[in-house]
Amino acid sequence: MSSAFPWLSILLLTPILGLILISILPRGPHPRAIALAASLLTLLFSLILALNFDASRAEVFQFSESYPWISGLNVYYQLGVDGVSVLFLPFTSLLFAAVIASSWNSIHKMPRIYYALLLLLQSATLGVFCALDTLLFFLFWELTLIPIYFLISLWGTGPLRRYAAIQYTMLMLAGGVPLLFGLLWAAFNYAQAQLATQGGTIFEHLSFDYVTLLANPLPVEAQALLFFLLLIGFGVKTPLFPLHTWLPTLAMEGPAAVAALITGLKLGAYGLLRFLVPLAPEAAQQYHWLLAALGIIGVLYGAVAALSQTNLRRMLAYASISHVGLIVLAIASFNLHGFQGAVLQLLNFTVVASGLFLLTGFLHQRLGSTDFVALGGVAQRMPLFTALFFLFALASIGIPGTNGFPAEFLLLLSVLHSHTGAGIAALLGVVLSAAYTLSFYRRALLGPIKNDGVASLIDLRRRELLIMMVLAFCILLVGLYPALLLDIIQPVGTAWLQGL
Amino acid sequence: MTESTLWYYLIPLFPLLAASWLAISYLFFNNRGEAGEKHTARVASLASLASLLLLLAVDMLALWQGVPGQTQALTWFNAGDYHLSFSLRLDTLGLSIGTLVALIAFLSTRFSINYLHREAGFQRFFMVISLFTSAMLLIVLAGNALLAFIGWELAGVSSYLLIGYALDRPNATKNANRAFVTNRIGDAGFILAMAFSLLWWNSLEWPVILENAQQHSTLAVGVVALGFLLAALAKSALVPFSPWISRALEGPTPSSAIFYGSLMVHAGVYLVIRLQPLWEQVPLFMILLAVLGALTALYGFLSGLVQTDVKSSLMFSTTGQVGVMFLLCGLGYFTLAAWYLALHAIWRAYQFLHAPALMHLVSRPARPVPAWMQRCPKLYIAALQRFWLDSFADAVWVRPLSLMARDVQAFDDRIVNRMVGLPGATGVYPTLSGHQSDQRIGHARGMAGRLLQWVAAWSYWFEEQLILRGGGEGLLSVLNRLGKSFDKLDYLLSQPRYLLLMVVVTFAVIL
Repeated sequence: MSSAFPWLSILLLTPILGLILISILPRGPHPRAIALAASLLTLLFSLILALNFDASRAEVFQFSESYPWISGLNVYYQLGVDGVSVLFLPFTSLLFAAVIASSWNSIHKMPRIYYALLLLLQSATLGVFCALDTLLFFLFWELTLIPIYFLISLWGTGPLRRYAAIQYTMLMLAGGVPLLFGLLWAAFNYAQAQLATQGGTIFEHLSFDYVTLLANPLPVEAQALLFFLLLIGFGVKTPLFPLHTWLPTLAMEGPAAVAALITGLKLGAYGLLRFLVPLAPEAAQQYHWLLAALGIIGVLYGAVAALSQTNLRRMLAYASISHVGLIVLAIASFNLHGFQGAVLQLLNFTVVASGLFLLTGFLHQRLGSTDFVALGGVAQRMPLFTALFFLFALASIGIPGTNGFPAEFLLLLSVLHSHTGAGIAALLGVVLSAAYTLSFYRRALLGPIKNDGVASLIDLRRRELLIMMVLAFCILLVGLYPALLLDIIQPVGTAWLQGL
Repeated sequence: MTESTLWYYLIPLFPLLAASWLAISYLFFNNRGEAGEKHTARVASLASLASLLLLLAVDMLALWQGVPGQTQALTWFNAGDYHLSFSLRLDTLGLSIGTLVALIAFLSTRFSINYLHREAGFQRFFMVISLFTSAMLLIVLAGNALLAFIGWELAGVSSYLLIGYALDRPNATKNANRAFVTNRIGDAGFILAMAFSLLWWNSLEWPVILENAQQHSTLAVGVVALGFLLAALAKSALVPFSPWISRALEGPTPSSAIFYGSLMVHAGVYLVIRLQPLWEQVPLFMILLAVLGALTALYGFLSGLVQTDVKSSLMFSTTGQVGVMFLLCGLGYFTLAAWYLALHAIWRAYQFLHAPALMHLVSRPARPVPAWMQRCPKLYIAALQRFWLDSFADAVWVRPLSLMARDVQAFDDRIVNRMVGLPGATGVYPTLSGHQSDQRIGHARGMAGRLLQWVAAWSYWFEEQLILRGGGEGLLSVLNRLGKSFDKLDYLLSQPRYLLLMVVVTFAVIL
């Protein structure tokens, strides 16, 4: 496909088009229908993009577009995707379509704004994956905060939703400042280096172009600062150990849809993979122990904390902290199978972690609670729900046949190969992940029926079943044929390792 | 890849396809309740019959032309420098045990059709049993560790589902969990072994692993062997892991029992026999196999004596016999252990299938414990308590973990949350008025918040005291006062003794 045609811009504008339609149609008949149509159209576009992507040279950025944006500072509106980010586009779009479809009957308050915000969030999230200019990336990165803030504070289900929204936004902004400084630091250092050889003013030489910055790594002493700034910026969002507490809070207070989006889209880990390690390669290798330590702490801390939870949503949040810890650990391993496993697992999250949250949302909509005091015996009334929940739980444990297996297997291999001690500790995390997932499954869904709410439950409806079937299909497809994704990731991983 | 070997994969594939078909037809074609029983039963039993017949055909061919041996590896996916592939190993051991597995699976599937008639979850049961058959066949016929591991895990999942078959009984589901998590420890060992054999020998094929084991240092072999040993111990319920198998009895009577009694419990033994050269390389492991086997045999024998119901005594007897098999392996009699395995599996299958009927025929009470055991009450109590293995695991593993989980939770709420400034459990107000009284503007929580509040208060003071008050008069007076102090300081410094002191201090700081 010719690169002249702005495919990526069209992809980013499709949700915006839906947003505009929703807002200009007065009392539009069905904002949800428009939103679903827009997100399905985006999904279609992203699938077309992924199919037309030239996988034989996946390490090269394709479908590139570049227009000057702030010419005084050499900031460009620059988009492009390589073999990793192109895969995130369809999975993200699928997730958004699933979230919009699952909100179908549960949003009665201000539906127009709700769906408009979801579409804005979709556009911003896709932008994060497509942006090739670091400042443009930062713009999209921060743009995701606004819709999330309103989605949590207005449609949250918990009593502390406003608080959760404020805290989330404050923390993300606090992480955003170091991130911005880090990106500026990289640009100014590059300019300084150019200044020394070519002369002129420093502003002439500024570059926020990701590819240029990759080709000209910073001097080693400047990398350490960049590493720590970016580590804080992305670590808050990942979330890494001491900065993780917003996630359980958000999972409890926010609407199920947002919880599904935030646990499904691990933008922080993506940032570590895409920006932190490639832009500060020497520092990353020097401080690999720090990344590994944060990772293994996340694995064990999240797993142990998940064991004692009494609410399904909090449990899933801690489980997600534990699973993302393993990814960070594999990133710190700097080997190819670790890279492939990390990307594959990040893609899996968009299906598995968010699928579990969507299922939880269905349960919450029926019962008004996901605390296990209110549950127990759900399986007798909702066999389909239980079967699907079990499948998603197996995928998150990493049982063969589901997409969790190849990813987790590769992650564990890479960690055992590079940090053997941490790898053995991570194996303990694997045992624990079975323990907390299945023990919660048992307490929440199996056993005798203990209260009337559960006794009158109705199983998944056709719409809910359809959403879950699509996600389950992805789980099994990737689980049985992981080469579908791994082969596209491989060349990117090779290039990633060469940059180190 | 020659076409002629692909069809071997059909052997484990038939039951797997049956399981998938049953799931699909349950979901989409409303194959539920009594109406669907006939279809379900037919699909499941036909699939396992097909596997059995295919295996018999392979057996016949093997008698005719010799065993096919290791099939060519079939790449599943590539990652990094590693090719993760499938292959089958159809040698004498694999074929004979495989045929046995298929036979027992087929017979027990047939048996269950009548036994589970009109049970809730009939379809689910046959789905799981087909999955289990496929998993067992994978373990036995696998030509490399990866395929065996897939079978290993699927067997674990299906055993979870079989033990927890009665979804509404808390005991059943609890035991299912316990069994699965215990097995998961073994799975972690399996992963460890695979990771290192990939790292050192770049292959997961059984022949390559075994060949390398004979050439490499004992440390490398030891690590790989340790992983596989852990896996075998957990799956076959050897001594430290034994209790899960008695919990497995919660499944529907003959059919799940038959799988624990006669098939899955032998998977560990099978793995040990399959990896014979690995153990022979490291004598320590041979001793370990023998010792743990002997301990398990004793455990099974003694605990079995004091059981009062038929299923439990059969289960303990099974545990004991499996211990003997490990003992035989430890002593080097691998072939004998394989024979023992086959005979024991058949015998146990027969016994377990008989057990429910036996209960109807025999009405005498359980036999009392033998006289010699009555004479030593301590042993009796130990046997009755199953040597406290379960409580031991609880004490060293489960309880500390759950306590730690609670601590971590408290740490998260009280310390991490406060530090970062998020509302924790402590931030929830018991009453609405309590909440409202705390809604003052600028009231901060958390360390970051307090710090910010302090800075804000200070700058507010600065702003009000110095700049705002009386159009800068405050600032002027403060500056005046400051100037006077500086005057005083200047005067003092001009005194030689203070000057000297300053010089000394400066030097002290610099050096």
